[in-house]
Amino acid sequence: MVKRKSLNTYIIFVASLVLVYYVLVCVWPFTFNLYLSFRKTDLLTENKFIGLGNFRFLWKDPVFWRSLRNNIFYLAVMVPLGIVTSLFAAALIYRTTGAMRKIYTALYFAPVVTSMVAAALIWQLLYHPKIGLFAQILSSLFRIDPNNLTFLQNPATALLCIIFMDVWKDSGLRTVIFLAGMDEMPDSIFESAKIEGASEWRQFFTLTVPLLRPQLIFVGAIYSINAIRLFVPVYMMTGNPPGGPANSTKVLAIQMYQEAFYGLRFGYGATISMIIFAILVGLVVLELRSFEQRWEY
Amino acid sequence: MKYRVRRKIGQVVLHGVLLLGGILMIAPFVWMVLSSFKPSLEVINVEFGFFPKTWTFANYLRVFQEVSLGRGYFNSILIASGVTLSVLLSATAAGYLFSKLRFRGRDQLFVLTLASVMIPPHIVLVPLYTLMNRLQWINTYQGLAFPFLMSAFGIFLMRQFIRGIPNDLVEAARIDGASDFRIYWSVILPLVRSSMAVLGILTFLWNYDEFLWPLVVVHDNRMMTIPLILGHFTQAEAKFPGESMAACTLVVAPVLIVYAFFQSQFVKGMSMTGLKA
Repeated sequence: MVKRKSLNTYIIFVASLVLVYYVLVCVWPFTFNLYLSFRKTDLLTENKFIGLGNFRFLWKDPVFWRSLRNNIFYLAVMVPLGIVTSLFAAALIYRTTGAMRKIYTALYFAPVVTSMVAAALIWQLLYHPKIGLFAQILSSLFRIDPNNLTFLQNPATALLCIIFMDVWKDSGLRTVIFLAGMDEMPDSIFESAKIEGASEWRQFFTLTVPLLRPQLIFVGAIYSINAIRLFVPVYMMTGNPPGGPANSTKVLAIQMYQEAFYGLRFGYGATISMIIFAILVGLVVLELRSFEQRWEY
Repeated sequence: MKYRVRRKIGQVVLHGVLLLGGILMIAPFVWMVLSSFKPSLEVINVEFGFFPKTWTFANYLRVFQEVSLGRGYFNSILIASGVTLSVLLSATAAGYLFSKLRFRGRDQLFVLTLASVMIPPHIVLVPLYTLMNRLQWINTYQGLAFPFLMSAFGIFLMRQFIRGIPNDLVEAARIDGASDFRIYWSVILPLVRSSMAVLGILTFLWNYDEFLWPLVVVHDNRMMTIPLILGHFTQAEAKFPGESMAACTLVVAPVLIVYAFFQSQFVKGMSMTGLKA
């Protein structure tokens, strides 16, 4: 640390820019959001204090519980599925070398750099019962009536379809993170395991996976947070109004957006975003806790 | 001998599985490009056909007639570049501030920036929207860029990198009479150029892809960014699949081509820094 006691213009200039910006974009909006969550307002004509009215309404709002359930379902399916598939891909790519390894990484990584909006639009059509690739393949291979292949139009499968798209979209990123972790591992422990006659499967589960703990926690945390903040894929893939059919894909961020900007219930929208915030804080605390626990080679 | 044969088979299976997986990963893009060249009757045809029977540019022409994709590109690239420039400058300047300089309230200010990660613009949409309304920044470039001008992730990243720069270097420049502005510009910035490149690529990509904030703050067609224009196609609910895929191709192809050239930088950058928080 360079010792400087006096304030100079650089410190005053940069520090006040940072302070003013974060007050404007973070502190004030959060405070105002909290204030709004206790009011009933359309931001134009009506604006009155209703105490815990929004929270009481939330407690009895079946759409809110459905949204929350969908977020939790999304997290519970997407995070493990995403981790397992990428772990599998990383373990396979790890065994390749040179140009082939580069080619595989490039192929698996390609969806990561494409925009989520475009990816969601492509998959919306891939899932289409008549013109989509999945329906065409299934109907010509197994002679299933394409009218029965309603992926996104079926409340039972719509959310799962979005999860598959999301797993595909970012699997390359998770694979690359795991691969970097595997490359860092010392060869010596694997050699001694080989000498002791441990099978490759055993080595994978007793050495590789435990040693990947930091990467696994990191990936788990990031995608849990993404699952709670989920918006774009649902908005893009479930038509108008988003969240259908029959609220089967409605998630908190979508409901918040609709309550505020379609229904002009800004107070209630702010209340839902307080819930999203509370869940995010919980997840971040959980992540920091698991990072603090020590791991050793 | 037997061992070698088994090894050979293992290798074939390994590469077979990986190649199959790789093909599945890019199959949606191939299907997108091929569908974009199909005449509309052929796209809607239930009969399975991966390749177009007749190739046509009609979908592309209609995309250009229907939406102002050129204007969308201009808006998106302008905002993403402006935000990237602002994030790079502010992240390095604040990174230097938080790692090498000492003043009262420094740690509190740093905690405040980190805490902002938990309150992303998407959570405080309503207050930010009212702020934009009051500033009359709805439908403006300032409004589109405002919530992303500084990045706590970027400040944290740059603080870590600048910390690694030896204090002697900063001290020596100071003895030579350089001000902190001067040290920042001629000592710090040249030393963190490579990490700035990584942060720059990530920031540009994330902002090019931003959807929810423009959706709230833009109502005027001329201010629409690329993601919003694509959103227009999803509202049509697959009535014009050929056009949708043509629009997607026009949006995805440039990024994929750039990616093909700088593939290793992209991958390295992303794996090094993890992900946006």
